[in-house]
Amino acid sequence: MMRHDRERRDAPAAVTPPGRIGAFLRERWDLVALAVLAVAPLVVPALGGALGGQVTTLFIYCILALGLNVMVGYTGLVHLGIAAFFGIGAYLCAILTVPMYPFQMRFATATAASVVVTALIGLALGAPTLRLRGDYLAIVTLGFGEVVKVTLRNLEQITGGMKGLNPVPPPGAGLKVGGLDLGLAFAIDPRWFYYLALAALAAVVVAMRRLEHSRLGRAWVAVREDELAASAMGISAIRVKLSAFAMSSAVAGLAGCLYAASLSTTADPNAYDFNRSIMVLCAVILGGLGSIPGTLLGVALLVGFDTVLAPWADSAIQQWNINPSGSSLLSFSGWRLAIFGLALVLVMRYRPEGLVPSRRVAAELHEAHP
Amino acid sequence: MNVRIRAPWLLSACLLVLAGCRPADPTLVKIVSSLPRTGSAKQQSDTLVRGIRMAIEEAEGRVGPFRVEYLDLDDSTAAAGQWTSEAEAANARRALQDPDVVAYIGTFNSGAAKVSMPILNLGDLLMVSPANTAVGLTKPGLGAPGEPGVYRPTGRLNYTRVVPADDLQGPLSADWAKARGVKRVYILDDNEVYGKGIADLFDERCHEIGIEVVGHDSIDAKAQEFKSLMASVKAAHPDLVYFGGTTQSKGGQLAKDMASAGIGAILMVPDGCREQVFIDSAGAANLEGRCFVTFGGLPPEKLTGKGKEFVERYRARYGELPEAYAVYGYEAACVALHAIRETGSKDRRAIADTALAIHDFDGALGRWGFDANGDTTMRTLTVSAVRNGKFEFEEILDAADLEPAPTP
Amino acid sequence: MQFFLQQCLIGITNGALVALVALGYTMVYGIIRLINFAHGDLIMLGACLALTLVSTLGLAAAGPAAAWGGVAALVLLCGLFCGGLNVAVDRIVYRPLRSAPKLAPLVSAIGVSFIFMNVGLFWLGPADRSFPELLPATNLLPGDGLQFTAKDLLVLVVVVPLMAGLSFLVKSTRLGKAMRAVSQDPVAAALVGIDVDRVIAATFFVGGFLGGAASVIYGLYINTIGFQMGFQNGLYAFTAAVLGGIGSIPGAVVGGLVIGLVRALSSAYVGERWTGAIVFAILIVILVFRPEGLLGRGTREKV
Repeated sequence: MMRHDRERRDAPAAVTPPGRIGAFLRERWDLVALAVLAVAPLVVPALGGALGGQVTTLFIYCILALGLNVMVGYTGLVHLGIAAFFGIGAYLCAILTVPMYPFQMRFATATAASVVVTALIGLALGAPTLRLRGDYLAIVTLGFGEVVKVTLRNLEQITGGMKGLNPVPPPGAGLKVGGLDLGLAFAIDPRWFYYLALAALAAVVVAMRRLEHSRLGRAWVAVREDELAASAMGISAIRVKLSAFAMSSAVAGLAGCLYAASLSTTADPNAYDFNRSIMVLCAVILGGLGSIPGTLLGVALLVGFDTVLAPWADSAIQQWNINPSGSSLLSFSGWRLAIFGLALVLVMRYRPEGLVPSRRVAAELHEAHP
Repeated sequence: MNVRIRAPWLLSACLLVLAGCRPADPTLVKIVSSLPRTGSAKQQSDTLVRGIRMAIEEAEGRVGPFRVEYLDLDDSTAAAGQWTSEAEAANARRALQDPDVVAYIGTFNSGAAKVSMPILNLGDLLMVSPANTAVGLTKPGLGAPGEPGVYRPTGRLNYTRVVPADDLQGPLSADWAKARGVKRVYILDDNEVYGKGIADLFDERCHEIGIEVVGHDSIDAKAQEFKSLMASVKAAHPDLVYFGGTTQSKGGQLAKDMASAGIGAILMVPDGCREQVFIDSAGAANLEGRCFVTFGGLPPEKLTGKGKEFVERYRARYGELPEAYAVYGYEAACVALHAIRETGSKDRRAIADTALAIHDFDGALGRWGFDANGDTTMRTLTVSAVRNGKFEFEEILDAADLEPAPTP
Repeated sequence: MQFFLQQCLIGITNGALVALVALGYTMVYGIIRLINFAHGDLIMLGACLALTLVSTLGLAAAGPAAAWGGVAALVLLCGLFCGGLNVAVDRIVYRPLRSAPKLAPLVSAIGVSFIFMNVGLFWLGPADRSFPELLPATNLLPGDGLQFTAKDLLVLVVVVPLMAGLSFLVKSTRLGKAMRAVSQDPVAAALVGIDVDRVIAATFFVGGFLGGAASVIYGLYINTIGFQMGFQNGLYAFTAAVLGGIGSIPGAVVGGLVIGLVRALSSAYVGERWTGAIVFAILIVILVFRPEGLLGRGTREKV
C-alpha cells in the first residue's frame, strides 16, 4: 500500500495547531526539547543534586528504549530480553575499566568496545532464532534474558556475582582539562553525567532518524508488515532481522555503559531481569510503537511515575500521616502494579498504537477495526 | 490532546516544580536514614525506624543549639521489592545536597552500603550503620582486594557501625559448632554480599579448626522450593547445616524443605534471620529445638542498664517487645545526636571526627567505643535457640574465646 | 544409585505439578494463540484463596480423614474460582481483541498479570506466607531409603486424574471436539455452527480450573506462597508447555515432566545455582532445532 504521501513526517493526522509557533513546535519538537533540556541545569538548581542523577537515568532508559524500538517498533519482533543486553553492556564496560582488571581503559574506548561486543552477542543470539515465529522468538529472548542474568550472577570470578563490579571509574578519570580534574568533576557534580547522557541520547535520536528514512529502515518496516511479500520483493529478511538484532543490542549496550558509569557500579545482576525488560517494553508500547517521540514520551511517563511521582506521593502520604499503620493499601506505591497493568490493558483496548504513534503503525493496527 | 507539543513543556514544568530549593537553616539539623521500607525487609526496618524515632523523641527534637528533624528515606523500590543501587545512590546524593543533613543512618544491607559509602565519603558526611556486618566495609585485608580503600576515595573515614562485623559472627559460629561436637557441615548461602560473606568466613574457620565441610552451595534466592537441594544435602550426611542469608532470601523455605526431607542435622543461621518472621515462615514445628541463630551483641531480653530501660520504654510506647534490631537503630541515632551535641556546629567533617573518636560511650548496648576503622569495640555474640516458636537465649560467646587456629 | 532415584522421584513429582500448570497455558494458546502471561498469577490468586479457606475452615487442626476431604473441597472451590476468574478476564479483556494484531492481547495479558499481582500483594502482604501442613510429612516408603511422603502422593493423586479427565474431555466429548475445531480454524468452526466465543470461554474455564487445582497442590506441597510466586512458576510451566509443543496437551505433560527432571538433576549434579540457566538454555536449544517442540506439529505458512 502506498502511503508515502502521508509518511513524510511523523505528524498526527487531523491537528490544527495554533499558528506558526505551534507548527514550529510540532515539526521541530526535538530541537525545542533539546534546547530546554540543555538549558535546564543552569536554571533549575535541583538538577545539580539528586534530581540530576534521576534525569540522567531517565535519559539512559530513553536510549535503551530506542534500542528496543528498533526491534519491536520498526521490525515488529517482540523482544522480551532487552535488559540482558543492557546488563552485558554494563558489565563489559565495567570489566574494561575497573581497577581490579588489567585493562583499565578510558571510558570512550571501553564504551566503543562494549557496544561492538554486545552487538556481536546480539547477532549470535539472532542468527539461530530467525526462523522462529513471533511468539517463539519472544520466548527465546525471554529465556536468553534469564540465562544471562543467572550466568552473570554465578560467574563470580569474572563479574563479582551479586556484589557487582565496583567502583567503575567516572569518564575522564585522571584527565585534567584546563586545570579541572574531569574524573572528580564527574564524580561530584551530577550535571556532567547529565550532559553526557543527553549528548548520547541526542546522537542516538539523530541516528535513529537517519535509519528510519534509509533503505534499511524501510526494509525493517517492510519485513514487519509482511515478511513473505518483502522477501518476494528481494529484501533478505534474514539480513534485515539480523541487522535489527545487532542495532538494538548495540544501542542497549551503549545504555548499559552509561548506566554503569553513572552509578559507578554495575549493581547486582538482578537489576537486569525480566522486570526491567518488561518495563522498557511497556514504555515503548504505551508511548508509541515505531515512533521516536512516542518512545521518549513513554519512558518519561513510566520512569517519571516510578522514580518521581511514586516516591513523592509516598512521602506526601507519610507527611500528612494518612497511613500510620504502613499498610500497602493506603500507600501509593502499593497500587503501582495495578496502575501499570490497568494502563496496559486500557491502552491496548482503546489505543493500541500508543500515545504518540507513527502513522504507519496506527494505520496497521486500525486496519482490522475500520 | 496533542501530547507532542506539550511534552517538552510538561517536562520542563515538572522540573521547575520539583526544583524547590530552600536556603540552609542555621538552627536546624537533619538526620536521615536510608533503609528498605518497602518489600519483605519492611518489618526489620520498621523496628529500626522506631528505635531512631524514640532516640530523637527522647532528645525532644533538640540537640545542642539545634532543632532536629528526622527523614525516613527508602532505599528500596516497589518495583524491585528490595533495596536497589539507584535508590541508595539517590538517597546518598540527596543527603549530601541538603546542607542541613549532618548524619546518615544506614544502611541495612551491606550491599547497599557499598553504593553510598563512596558518595558520602566525598562529602564527609557521618554515616552510622545499625546493621551492616560485611567485613570488607571497614576491615583491611579481610574483604575483596582494595576494600575498604575503595569506599574511602578521600582517604578519610566517615563510616561507623554499632553492630559487630561478620569476622566475629562467622568464625565464632564455627567454634560454637565444634564445641557441640559437630564434625561435618554443609554450608549454603544466598549468593548475596552479606550471606555469601558470612558463609565464606564460616567455611574458612571450619577448615582451620578441623570441621569437615561436606558441601558449599549457593542458592537462587528467587527459587520457590529446595527439595532437590535438600536431597543432595541429606545424601552428604552433615551434622549441621549452615545457611548464610536472611529471611528474605528464603531462609524459612530452606528450613521447611530441610524438615520435610527428613534431615536430622541442626540448622544454624546468622543474624539476618533473627526475626519472628523467620520462625513463622519456616514453621515453628520445623525449627523446634534444632535451629540456632547467632546475633552480634545482646538480644533485647538480655540488655541491662540503659538498654533495659529502652526495652521498657519501647514496650510502653508500642505495646510489644522490640525486635532484635530496634536497639541498634536507637543506638545509632544516639551516636549521631551525641556527635552533633559535642561538636556544637553543623560542620560535617567535625561531626564525623567526633563520632569516630567515641571511646567510652555509655549506651543502650553497654559501654563501647569505635576503633580506628569505625568498628564497634563490642565483641560479644549471642546464640539463641528456637523453642516453642520463639527465640530463647542459649549462650553468650565472647571473642576472647576465639581459639587460635591450630598451627599446621 | 539411590540418590539418583530420589532425585528422579522429586523431579517427577515436581514435574507433574509443572505439567498441570503448563496445561493451562497450552489450552489457551491452542485455542486463540495467546500466551496467557497472567496464568501464573491466576494460580497465585487461587493459592491466596486456598490459604484463606484453610484458615477460616480451620483445616489445620482437623484429623487426617478430614484433611483429605478438606483437600478435595479446596481443589473444587479454588478450581471454580480460578476458572471463573479466567472466563471473566477473557470476556472483559481478550474478547474485544479477538481480531486485533497479536501484540495487543499479549500486552494485555501482561497487564492483567500485573493487576493480579497487585491483588495478591494486598491479599498476602509483601512477605511470603506459610501454608499450613495439612498432610503428615512421614515417609510412606519403608526404611530409610527413598523419601515419598503423603504430600508427594497428593500431587500424583490429584494431577493424574485431572490429566486423564482433560484427555477424555478433549477426545471424547462434544465440547472437546468443538475445542479442537476452533483451534484448527475458528472461521470454519463458526460456519458449521459452533459458538466460538462460548467454546473459547469454556477453554478458559477448563484451563483456569486446572490452575486452581494446581494452586491448592502448590500450597500443600511447597507450603509457602507469596505474591510474586506466579512469575517464577509461570515461567517454568510456560517453558514446559513450549518444550512439549505449545497447543499439544500430551506435549504439556511431557514438557512438564522433562522440566521437573531437568531441575532436580541439574540441582543435584551441577549445582543449585545453575538450575535456572540450564532450564532456559535447554529451552533455547530445543526451540532453535525443533521450534514446534517435542510433540508439536509443524505448521506451514500459506502465502
